[in-house]
Amino acid sequence: MTRYVVKRVLLAIVTVLVISLITFFAMNAIPGGPFNKEKATSPQVQAVLEARYNLDKPVGEQYILYMNNILHGDWGVSLKTGRDIASTLTSRFAVSAQLGLKAAAVAIVCGLVLGSIAALNRNKLPDRLIIFFTTLFTGVPSFVLATLLLLVFCMKLNLFPVWSAENPNYVLPVVSLSLYPMAYITRLTKTSMLDALSQDYVRTARAKGVSQVKVIFKHALRNALIPVVTYVGPMVAYILTGSMVVESIFTIGGLGTQFVTSITNSDYPMIMATTLFLGTLMVTANLITDLVYKMIDPRIELE
Amino acid sequence: MKKLMASALAAAMVVSLVGCGGNNTTSTSESGSAAATTESASATSVLNTDTSTLYINLASEPDRLDPHLNSTVDGAVLAVNSFVGLLTYDENGQLVPGVAESYDVSEDGMTYTFHLRQSKWSDGTDLTANDFVYSWNRAANPMTASDYSYLYDGLIAKNEVANEMVANPEYDAAAAEAAAAAGEEYTTPAEVYSDAALAAQEANEILVGVEATDDYTLTVTLVSPCPYFLSLCAFPTFYPVPQASVEAADPDGTNPGAWALEAGFVSNGPYTCTAWSHDESMTYTKNPNYYDADSVNIETLQFMLSADDTAIYNAYMAGNLDFIDTIPTEEVPNHIDVDPEFYVAANIGTYYVGFNVNSTLFEGKTPEQANAIREAITLLIDREYIVDTIGQTGQEVANTFVPAGMSDSNGGEFRQNTDSYTYPDEEAVGYFDPSYDAYEENLAKAIELLESAGYVFDDAGMLSAETPLSFAYLTNEGAGNEAIGAAIQQDMAAIGATVEIQTQTWNVFLNERKAGNYDVCRQGWLADFDDPINMLEMWTTDSGNNDAQFGRDPATGEAGTVPSYAPQNWSEYDELIAEIKAETDLTKRVALMHQAEDMLMETWAVVPLYYYNDPYMQKSNVEGVYTNAFGYKYFHHATKTAA
Repeated sequence: MTRYVVKRVLLAIVTVLVISLITFFAMNAIPGGPFNKEKATSPQVQAVLEARYNLDKPVGEQYILYMNNILHGDWGVSLKTGRDIASTLTSRFAVSAQLGLKAAAVAIVCGLVLGSIAALNRNKLPDRLIIFFTTLFTGVPSFVLATLLLLVFCMKLNLFPVWSAENPNYVLPVVSLSLYPMAYITRLTKTSMLDALSQDYVRTARAKGVSQVKVIFKHALRNALIPVVTYVGPMVAYILTGSMVVESIFTIGGLGTQFVTSITNSDYPMIMATTLFLGTLMVTANLITDLVYKMIDPRIELE
Repeated sequence: MKKLMASALAAAMVVSLVGCGGNNTTSTSESGSAAATTESASATSVLNTDTSTLYINLASEPDRLDPHLNSTVDGAVLAVNSFVGLLTYDENGQLVPGVAESYDVSEDGMTYTFHLRQSKWSDGTDLTANDFVYSWNRAANPMTASDYSYLYDGLIAKNEVANEMVANPEYDAAAAEAAAAAGEEYTTPAEVYSDAALAAQEANEILVGVEATDDYTLTVTLVSPCPYFLSLCAFPTFYPVPQASVEAADPDGTNPGAWALEAGFVSNGPYTCTAWSHDESMTYTKNPNYYDADSVNIETLQFMLSADDTAIYNAYMAGNLDFIDTIPTEEVPNHIDVDPEFYVAANIGTYYVGFNVNSTLFEGKTPEQANAIREAITLLIDREYIVDTIGQTGQEVANTFVPAGMSDSNGGEFRQNTDSYTYPDEEAVGYFDPSYDAYEENLAKAIELLESAGYVFDDAGMLSAETPLSFAYLTNEGAGNEAIGAAIQQDMAAIGATVEIQTQTWNVFLNERKAGNYDVCRQGWLADFDDPINMLEMWTTDSGNNDAQFGRDPATGEAGTVPSYAPQNWSEYDELIAEIKAETDLTKRVALMHQAEDMLMETWAVVPLYYYNDPYMQKSNVEGVYTNAFGYKYFHHATKTAA
C-alpha cells in the first residue's frame, strides 16, 4: 500500500511536470504577448516590461527561470494586474471551493438518495419522474440552465437579486453547478443499485431474514457505490475549480473566470499557475479515488 | 457555450479595447420622447430606492486603478471619480479648474503657470505642487511602464540622460548565432538604457520642464506650443498620485502599481475605493477630504464587476442597478427611441476598415491602381445597413477618417467645409457620399475604378472569371464585428468579389494586425484627446499604430523599400506630421492637418464605416450623471430620489 502510494505520488509529479512543459511552450507559441495593446505603447516601455518579466530571453531559459522560482515558492505577479499570484489563487480558490463543496455535497447526497429511490421503485411513478428529470438535467448545458434560473428566480419571482454587493446569494449558482452531476450520480446509482440488488449475496441476506433497511444500506448500497466513486473523484475536483459560465452569469469572482481571462490576456505566469494548480488537483483527486476504491471493495488490488 | 463566452468576452473587449482621452465637446442626447409610450420596455424596469447609494455597472474587473497605468475607458471612469487633475470637465464638457484654481500662459504659449488650491489627499496630507512634479515624472518614467507615457514625448522637455540607450552588454552574439542556426528565436534586444539613464530613472528625474516654484505653484515649460495641452491636464495619465504610498508599496521599483492593487489606497477625488471583491463588486465611498466634498451628493457608489451582457441587463431591469454602460445589442431596439432611460452620448472615434498596403493582393498593380481598388471597395460598402442593423444605436455613417465632432483646436469642428478648405465631396462633407441614396452612383464608380485597375466585368456587372478579386477580412471575435465582416462580404458579392472572414481572439488579432499579416482588417480608434493629430500621427512610418504598413519594407517590417504597388514616398507624410507638430500658427496648422488627411485618404487604405457613439441606460430617479466625448462618466454630482 505504502509502496503504491509513493509510486503514484512520483508519477503524479512527473505528470504535473509534463503539464507545465506543454503549457509553457504552447502558450508561448500563441501569437501575441501580454503587453499587446491596441494603441501601441512606446518601444522603451515594451523593452522595460519585457526585461522585467524575462520575456526578452529565449523560451527555454524562461521556462527554467520560471520553474526555479516556483520551486522557491515564488509564483510571481500577474502581468496584467501586478497582483501577487499565490494570494490571488488562494482567494479565488476559496470562493470557487466554497461554492463547489456545497454543490458537490448537494449533488452527491441528492444523487444517491434519488438513485436509490428510483432503483427500489423500478418502473413505478417515482422512478419514472426521477429518470425524466435526470435525463433533462444531463441534457441541458449549464449556461442555459443558469440563465433560466436567473430568469425565473430573479426576474419573474423576485426571490433573489441578480447581483448584490451587500448580500451576495449562492443558492442559484450552487443549484446550477449541482444539477448536472446530481442527475448523473442518480442514474449511476440507480443502475449499479439494481445490479447489486440482483446479486446472490443480497438474495442470501434476504433469505436469512435481514431487514430491508439493512439489506439496502449494508449490502447493496456499499457495492453500488464503486462506479459512483469513480465519477465523484474527478467531478469534485472539477466542480471545486469553478465554472467560468456560472461565475460569469452570477457575478462570482472564482477560479474559473480567472483561468479563462488569464488565457485571453496571455498573462503567462497566471496561465501557468492556474494550470499547474488545476493539474495538481486533478492528479490528487484521481489518487484519492483509487485509494477509496480499495476501502470500499477489499477485492481490488492496488498494484 | 463557446458562443456565449465569445460574446461575453467581446463585450469585455469592446469596453477595454477602446482607449481613452480627454477634452471637450459633449452632447448627451436623450433619445426618449414622450410620444412613444407604446410597448415601452421601461414599464418592467424596477427602480432602486436606496437614495444614498448608486448601483453601477461599467465593465468587468478593471486591470489597474493606478491612473497612470490604466489604458481602458472603464478604468478612466473610475479614475475621474476618485482622482482629479489640474483641470477637469464640467457637465457641458468644458475644461474647468480642478486642483489648479487658475493658470497663466506665457505669450509664446510655451510656459504655463498653474496656481493650485490648498487641497488634501484622502488620508488628510496636503497635496502640493511637488506631488505633480513627482507624478508627471513618474508617468513619463519608462520604469513605470505607463501605456500612455508617450503623451509626454515631445510635449515637456526631457532629461536627455534619462533616455540614453546603449548596446546591450548582455547580448551574446555567439548564442544568437547558435539560436539562428538551430532555427530558434533569440530575443535579447540589442539596446538597453545606459547606467546613467537607469540612475536618472531610479531618481525619477525624467522631465526638466516641470517645476514647483512654491508649494502651490506649478510651472510647466513645453517643447513647443501645444493646442491640446490643457485637455491633457484632465487626462488620467496627468493625475497626481500619492508619492508616499506609491514608494512604500514598491520599494525595489519592480511593481509600480502595487499601491493600488486593493481597496483603501489614497486618492484625491470625490470618492475613494473602500472595498473590492475581485470580479464581483467594488465600493467607492465619498471622500470627506475632497476639496469640493460639499457638492458630492451620493454617499456610496457600488460597482458590479461583470461583462456578462445578460446578467448586467437583467440586474438593471430587476432594479439591482441604476446605471449600465453596456446594453445587449438585441435589447437596443426595445429601448432606443421609446425609453427615456436610454441615452446615447457622442463619442469621438471612427470604426473603419484597414488595408495592408503591402498585401500581395495588389501585386502587379501600380500604386494608383492599388488606390483605385481600395477606393472601389470603399464605395461598395453599404454603411447605412451596418449602422441600422448591426450598430443599431444611431451611429453616423462615416466618410472621413478624422471623426465628426473632433475639434480643430482653432475654435471650430475639423470636419466641415470652410473658406480655405472644401472636402472632395462638398455636399456630403467628406471624401465620398456614404448614404444609401448614392449607392447606384457609387457602384458605377467602383466598377469604373476596378476597370482602370485591370479588372474585367461581364454584361451583368459581375467580375469575369479571368480577373477575380478575392481577399481575407481579419476581425476579432464579437457578434457585431463578425456581422460587419459578413455585411462587407455581401457587399462585395454584388460585383462577384469574394471575401473570406478570418476571426481571431483579441490578442492574436492585435498581433497579426500590427505585424501586417493580413489583407484587410477591422479597425477602430477612439480619440485620446480632442485634436486631429491624434488620428493622423498614427500613420507615420515608425508609428506603432501604422498597421497599414505605410513606408515599410514588408521583409523587415521597418522603414525601407516599399513594394512597387504600395504608396511611394511616404516620408513626405512623416515630414508633414512633423511640420504640423512644430506649427504655431493655428490656422495654418488646420490647413496642414487637412492636407495630411487628404494624403491619407488618397491611398484609401483606411475605409471609414461609422463614427462611434456611446449608449447607456440610467434610471428615471437618477439625475446629474454627466459624460464627455471620451466616454467618461462623472457621478459626483448625481442625485437619486426615492421614486
